[in-house]
Amino acid sequence: MTAGSQEDRAMGGGSARWPSLAGLIVAALIMAAPLVWTLALSLKPNAELLRGTQTVFQAPYTLRNYADILGHSAIFRWLLNSTIVSLGVTFGVLALSSLAGYGFARLQFPGRDLIFVIVLFGLAIPEQSVIIARHQMFSALHLHNTYAGLILPGLAAPFGVFLMTQYFKAIPKELEEAAWLDGASHFRTFWRILLPLSLPAQATLGIFTFLSTWNDYWWPLISATNSDMFTLTVGVASSQMNFAQTNGLGFLMAQAVFASLPILVVYAVFQRYIVLGASRAAL
Amino acid sequence: MSGCRTVPSRRRLCGLFAVAVLCTTSGCAPRQGPVEITLQRFFGACDAEYGNSTDVGAAEGECGIITTLINRFNAENPDVHVKVNIVFWPGYDQLSAELAAGDPPDLVTMHESVISDYRARHLIMPLDQGLKSVGIDPASFTRAAREGVIRDGHVYGLPFDNWAPLWHINMNLFRAAGLVRGGRPVLPRSPEELLAQARQFKRANGKPYFVQSTVNEPAAYARNLFTFLLQQNANAFPDPHHIRLRTPEARRVLQLFKTIYDEGLTTKNQDYTAATSGFLNGQGGVYLVGTWMIGDYEKASKQPGSPLAGGYAVVPYPQLYPGRDATYADGHSWVVPTAKRSPQKQRAIFRLLRYLKDNDFEWSRTGHLPAYQAVIESARWRALPHRQEIERLVDVAEPPPPGVQRQFIIQQIVSEEMESAISGQKPIDTALTDAERRVNDVLFNLL
Repeated sequence: MTAGSQEDRAMGGGSARWPSLAGLIVAALIMAAPLVWTLALSLKPNAELLRGTQTVFQAPYTLRNYADILGHSAIFRWLLNSTIVSLGVTFGVLALSSLAGYGFARLQFPGRDLIFVIVLFGLAIPEQSVIIARHQMFSALHLHNTYAGLILPGLAAPFGVFLMTQYFKAIPKELEEAAWLDGASHFRTFWRILLPLSLPAQATLGIFTFLSTWNDYWWPLISATNSDMFTLTVGVASSQMNFAQTNGLGFLMAQAVFASLPILVVYAVFQRYIVLGASRAAL
Repeated sequence: MSGCRTVPSRRRLCGLFAVAVLCTTSGCAPRQGPVEITLQRFFGACDAEYGNSTDVGAAEGECGIITTLINRFNAENPDVHVKVNIVFWPGYDQLSAELAAGDPPDLVTMHESVISDYRARHLIMPLDQGLKSVGIDPASFTRAAREGVIRDGHVYGLPFDNWAPLWHINMNLFRAAGLVRGGRPVLPRSPEELLAQARQFKRANGKPYFVQSTVNEPAAYARNLFTFLLQQNANAFPDPHHIRLRTPEARRVLQLFKTIYDEGLTTKNQDYTAATSGFLNGQGGVYLVGTWMIGDYEKASKQPGSPLAGGYAVVPYPQLYPGRDATYADGHSWVVPTAKRSPQKQRAIFRLLRYLKDNDFEWSRTGHLPAYQAVIESARWRALPHRQEIERLVDVAEPPPPGVQRQFIIQQIVSEEMESAISGQKPIDTALTDAERRVNDVLFNLL
């Protein structure tokens, strides 16, 4: 018996597979349609789109909108800024959340549960409610228009602490006890035993943190006001002309495609970890 | 020993001092670089096309013209460097954040209707003395521009243009409806005539008379209301802290637009993009939108096969009420945020302002109305397409009352409530009451 036929039988046989396959194809098409639409619009001249979008799947196509993006003198600077800020926040969150999560999950210290609850309260506080105080604080510290100013707010990640705490709690304690019997310290146990075991959760947290930081708009908008410090989201928005959705629709869509390319790469490279992390977290 | 050491030290010090004095007086001191001024603007980025161009005359569109203007200024003024900070329209969140952080730019684009907000908190500087120093006399501004930038007798911005909603007209459809006489569109002179002509248009063409952007549209309805209130000599703002909308005049305007809506004399449920392309595709006779669309529609009128081919006209709002001929208007200006600056920087800022003023004709090619009477009266401006048709705006454009703050949010509230009334979600009186209450709440709670 071949592996294929075993899979067929496991999935309920060839004929029974078709409805679910058809359903999946329809769902995939529905999900892909906006992306295809965006891509197609990005390859059309703006003047043609001003008249209407009915010709979107007919030639001529052009790369002019992409040339206009790449021709902007600051675009690679913004790309670099976004990369530095996103990686900075991601590594910072991973380090802090792992350490804090280990502490909350495994260490006994006075007020631990109270502090954990206080950290969780952070999940319920919207960014908007603290933005003015944060802006004033960063002004006083002269942190606006700096990488530190863009990275530091992202490091406060209560969700990361919560996720890692729950993950560490689910790892059998016997593994640590074996390490302690061999004379390992708390940090060594964390570093050599628990951290490698938590890689799927780290990957999930890392990818979500990277994606949300990459897409962040509001804080970079008001903190990085100097165009040299713009992130990609703020930079591409600033380069839109007034009424860009009408007069420059193709350019707008090309911007959307361009800004999402790094995200797609991250997703494609790490999707195995995302699925693994999500499924383990569910278990 | 010590004396031996001291003497050479003194000689060395004297020698160094002499060299320093010589260097300072003879120019071998480190050369000062150009004065850098930061100009913050919207209008988008177009570096790929105009990043290195100084040919202003060849540039097109708001972005192209302002980019080449600044490039040329930098090329012609080696002692000044204008660093451009481009922000997403309208950029006021960023400006407020920069002011809060104590790090504002040196020059900013600002709508004239927003000047009162920043002036009230002393966040922008009066420019009277600086403008005088570079020979700019506010008397050279058009009346609308003067009203737009002057508060309590002081100039708070260098006007760059004025813009107003206009009637963009598809003359081919007007002709088919018998609404063209002597090559010019027949325009209504009263609400009754407007309805009659709109019905005649619909009967002839099977299409609505108006194309309107009403979905996700923050200001269009409000601009219509303010225009027709002005035409009835109705003062919507009895003082800068109150709006008055529960009036027969406001009710009349809403009733007119509701009738237009109910009888299908306008397109419905269109956002800005749909309405803009809808007019281009011949969906209706009159599109109510601003000066900035003149170039695009003029271009379409030159393209064979376009519904606008050989048939595009544009006029200011016709006078429908017997009060006075008036149209709501706003404008773009350049303001200087309050900050400590060196005298060199101050001089550079006002030199740039003078340059921008001198090039107002180039900017007016965007479709916006020039802010200077001399440009309006110039032959080259009048030779631009359709400028003679909209020249009347110079006399009838009226900015919102100076001193009224939060005009963007006021327009949004009024438009939302008008939309509710016109589409039948609320009775007209309820919508006007709600609009008045909401706007007065905003004005009452000003910081």
